[in-house]
Amino acid sequence: MDFLSYGFMQRALLAGSLLGVTCAVLAVFVVLRRMAFIGVGISHAALGGVAIGLVLGVSPVLSATVFAVIVAWVIGWITSRGEISEDTAIGVFFPTAMALAVALMSLSQTYRQDLLGYLFGNILSIRPSDIWVLAGLSGGSLALLAVFFKEFLFLGVDEEGARAAGLPVTALHYLLLTLLAVTVVAAMKLVGVVLVSAFLVIPAATGQSVARSMGGMLAVSIGSALVSVVAGLALSWQWNLPSGASIVLVGAGLFFASLALGLRDRRVGQ
Amino acid sequence: MNTTSPAIRLDDVWLSRRGGLVLESVSFELEEGRFAALIGPNGAGKTTCLRLLLGLIKPSRGSVEVFGRPPGRLDRPLGYVPQRVRIPHGFPLTVREMVLMGRYGLIGIGRRAGSDDYRAVDAALDKVGLSDMAGRRYQDLSGGQQQRALIARALVGEPLLLLLDEPTASLDAAARARFYTLVCDLQHERGLTLLVASHDLEDVALHADVLFLLDGTLRASGPPTEVLASPELARAFAFPPPHTHGSVAPGGDQS
Repeated sequence: MDFLSYGFMQRALLAGSLLGVTCAVLAVFVVLRRMAFIGVGISHAALGGVAIGLVLGVSPVLSATVFAVIVAWVIGWITSRGEISEDTAIGVFFPTAMALAVALMSLSQTYRQDLLGYLFGNILSIRPSDIWVLAGLSGGSLALLAVFFKEFLFLGVDEEGARAAGLPVTALHYLLLTLLAVTVVAAMKLVGVVLVSAFLVIPAATGQSVARSMGGMLAVSIGSALVSVVAGLALSWQWNLPSGASIVLVGAGLFFASLALGLRDRRVGQ
Repeated sequence: MNTTSPAIRLDDVWLSRRGGLVLESVSFELEEGRFAALIGPNGAGKTTCLRLLLGLIKPSRGSVEVFGRPPGRLDRPLGYVPQRVRIPHGFPLTVREMVLMGRYGLIGIGRRAGSDDYRAVDAALDKVGLSDMAGRRYQDLSGGQQQRALIARALVGEPLLLLLDEPTASLDAAARARFYTLVCDLQHERGLTLLVASHDLEDVALHADVLFLLDGTLRASGPPTEVLASPELARAFAFPPPHTHGSVAPGGDQS
């Protein structure tokens, strides 16, 4: 664990852990609502937002957040009207936002380098000030997830049943989309647009494979996200690998191990 | 809750969807404590009526009231039992967790379930005969057991009105019989008002007090013997529907 004696690695571990836990909780609802594709859609939309921010000279993180939230709401609104399915709506916005980013990126070499940073992320470049922003975002998101956990769960299991039980389903749906958008923007600076969607699926998929209850799934999801961050950073230090990719690969390894464990348990139980 | 109002009132309800007319001037009332069934062929508007009562959709014209109030503005949640709940394969939701969800409307946002809520869940599971399955995954239950779990989920919300959408569509004869015995018990014990949308003419004829025959519009309503004897039934289904046990067969013939 000598890598933790360096400040930049300590910050990477802290930032990764904060976002890993937030994404792990959100991932439970992403998996439950079969929204795995939405992480990809929002993160690429956010890249379009980054490009807009760079061109307009405003904070790329702010423009990415606003753009990602708007795109998430529009996808949610179009889907709720029942005209087209969610994956089709995402499939329209994903390449559109990417095309916008590529078009704006062509305007300047400087923009191109900045955008590449968001495309692949760099958790090792986290500054102390970033930690406070991440702590605020993660803390706020986790607080909202804790308050609305059971409502989000009901929404994911049976939307009509939730409405019949008197829950404000529409407001909850948009709140969940907003949390997803904000978390994606926060996470993409760490692991990049390409890998952020993995953060929103793999931990919960790992939990689903081995847990026998919702509480168990949540615990395994959070635990596997934290292990992925710590082990991923350690591996990237040891073998000089890209940190974001190492974290995601460890997460994927845990998923396949849990899948094998779950299959074995089911065979024994039969 | 307005006790002088009927449990359900649809007054001249019209509904258009994507340029087509789904419901045309549908009006009916259901008194509190009765067991009614919406019957009709596919696309007749049975599920649409349930969705109107749940407040999931609004009529293009006309009014819908539940206990004298618009849907969605009720003091107590409606009990709703869908045909099935689709959750991702392998999702580890236990039967107890599924049933507890029916209590969320009463618990309130931001509050956690307390001992009263878990007692209500245990009592509902006991009522539907699933106490020994409480810790099992919901998806591991049979179709009939899943239906009973969904009834338990509806019951824990302490509803006065239970809406059931094709609840026996995927059940075998024995499971269907158990299901109707259970809901009839609930009607008598708790004074619940029941409205079930169903294709199953034989079962609803045996158990329901009132039938509403829908085919885009209300074709007939009344006691099962009257509705099943109505020439409107054969017209709506466009084929001779199945015979009922020892009662009046569709079209007016004595079976």
